[in-house]
Amino acid sequence: MPASPSAQPIASQRGQNPRRWTLVALLLFWSLAPMLWQLYTSLRTPDALLGGLAAIGRGWTLANYGQILSSDPPFWRYLLNSTLVGVGTTLLTLLLAIPCAYALQRRGGLQRQLVDGALLVAAAFPSVLLFLALLQLARQFGLANNLLALCLPYAGLSLPLAVLLLEAAFAELPRELEESALLEGFGLWQRLRWILVPLLGPAVASTAVLVFLFSWNEFPIALTWLSRSELLTLAPAMARIAGSSVFSVPYGAFAAATVLGSVPLLLLLLVFQRPIVAGLTQGAIKG
Amino acid sequence: MGVVLIGPALLLLLLVFLWPMASYLWLSFHAQNLFTDLQPVPVGMLNWHRLVLDARFWQDAAQTLRFALVSVSLELGLGLAMALLLNQRWRGRGLVRSLTLLPWALPTTVMALGWRWIFNDPSGPINGVIAGLTGSTLPFLASPSLAWLAVVFADVWKTTPFVALLLLAGLQMIPADLYEALALEGGSARQALLRITLPLLRPYLLLVLLFRLAQALGVFDLIVVLTGGGPASSTESVAGYAYLNAMRFLDFGYSATVMIGMFGVLLLLGGVLLLVLRRPARA
Repeated sequence: MPASPSAQPIASQRGQNPRRWTLVALLLFWSLAPMLWQLYTSLRTPDALLGGLAAIGRGWTLANYGQILSSDPPFWRYLLNSTLVGVGTTLLTLLLAIPCAYALQRRGGLQRQLVDGALLVAAAFPSVLLFLALLQLARQFGLANNLLALCLPYAGLSLPLAVLLLEAAFAELPRELEESALLEGFGLWQRLRWILVPLLGPAVASTAVLVFLFSWNEFPIALTWLSRSELLTLAPAMARIAGSSVFSVPYGAFAAATVLGSVPLLLLLLVFQRPIVAGLTQGAIKG
Repeated sequence: MGVVLIGPALLLLLLVFLWPMASYLWLSFHAQNLFTDLQPVPVGMLNWHRLVLDARFWQDAAQTLRFALVSVSLELGLGLAMALLLNQRWRGRGLVRSLTLLPWALPTTVMALGWRWIFNDPSGPINGVIAGLTGSTLPFLASPSLAWLAVVFADVWKTTPFVALLLLAGLQMIPADLYEALALEGGSARQALLRITLPLLRPYLLLVLLFRLAQALGVFDLIVVLTGGGPASSTESVAGYAYLNAMRFLDFGYSATVMIGMFGVLLLLGGVLLLVLRRPARA
């Protein structure tokens, strides 16, 4: 229900509502204020930022965005690279995870419990530990500075969570449906294509969004695999911008970069809120 | 048939997870650095002796552990409070839930840059408020005793919504008639929390605790951008030290040893926690 928190509460007779709305207001301030501050900073001139509240009426500008977008390479390039890697990773992960989850789920038994346990450990594993060995692989096979090659380790790191989520979804499908399809003479690939995957739509969508989010945010591997600046994805680009002195304090251009780097994901999250929550929630219940 | 379906995924999983750990273990008994022309040369236990005596490694390990314990405790506490609030029925709850989830979705490096400005001394907004109240400012990112707290703060801000969401899933699995039965007996809200909510939430709390602890012990992105490990390596994490050894000092053998050492600490901590906390929830 799209009601604003300030709307008149229906059940005000309960008496605890003022306290609840105070907590909700605090929660919203805590969550949103740091981001809104970035937005505010990105629209101010340096003088206005240092002038405090006295300067609130003047000093609004779009120059910070102009500076970020006209740098070399322009900022949108990083967003484009991240999108490319994100889409590639998501497709590859689904391609590998759907058949794997299907086979595991239909197999059942102790074997599957062991595999699920291992996948859970792998899903929790801090992936930063892997960067050095993966970098050596990249050097050996000439995969560095290749955005599509980056999808390989990303898909590998996403697989544990993706397989677990999809397994839970396969478990909820009635097996009889599949058996009747079998009687109709459907082959395995036809069953996957015409029955299982369409019915699994929601689970596939939430898995896809979570994998995309992971890929968009991943840092250590992107940092070590990509060195050419026009190939950087968003995360290492932000680190490079943070370490450079090209943009002067106080941070107007930095803030513009954080805003531009945030907007695509904020939109994605608001549009796909339901599948994301469903996916995470199901993952928790399953685990 | 099963091999065709599982094979490719399994192969990639082995390549991405198992091969690195195996190669680190092998590399930890070799020197591979500038003195060996970046070729691996067997050196026995040398790397491990160095690790045991490396004061910087142990300092980083203590700092990482402190960061992980403090931030994960705060995340669990605040996340539980947030989940309880979002579990009640009120208008606009769905919208508030999506808005509170936003910090979790942002790339860590993006918001870490934002925090650098927010914690800035003297021009950031937090110091603006502090200066208004006390007349002086605090050097959040320049003082070793404050910088690690700034890192904790930024991590708690980002990760609490995720914790809250998972705990909310657990809360919604608790049957409502349990609460009704307690209310009929005249139980208070506090009793409901202690006798129903927390015991039934236990498996979820344990899952979130272990998952978050593993992630927090691997903290890297946030620190690289927010403090760069400084001031005076007071916020450097073990992962940051491993990165430094590999990419700055080009000492791959020792970097691999640090990673294996960290993995060992992780396994030990996870095992101990599981043993201590995984008592059966129901008799």
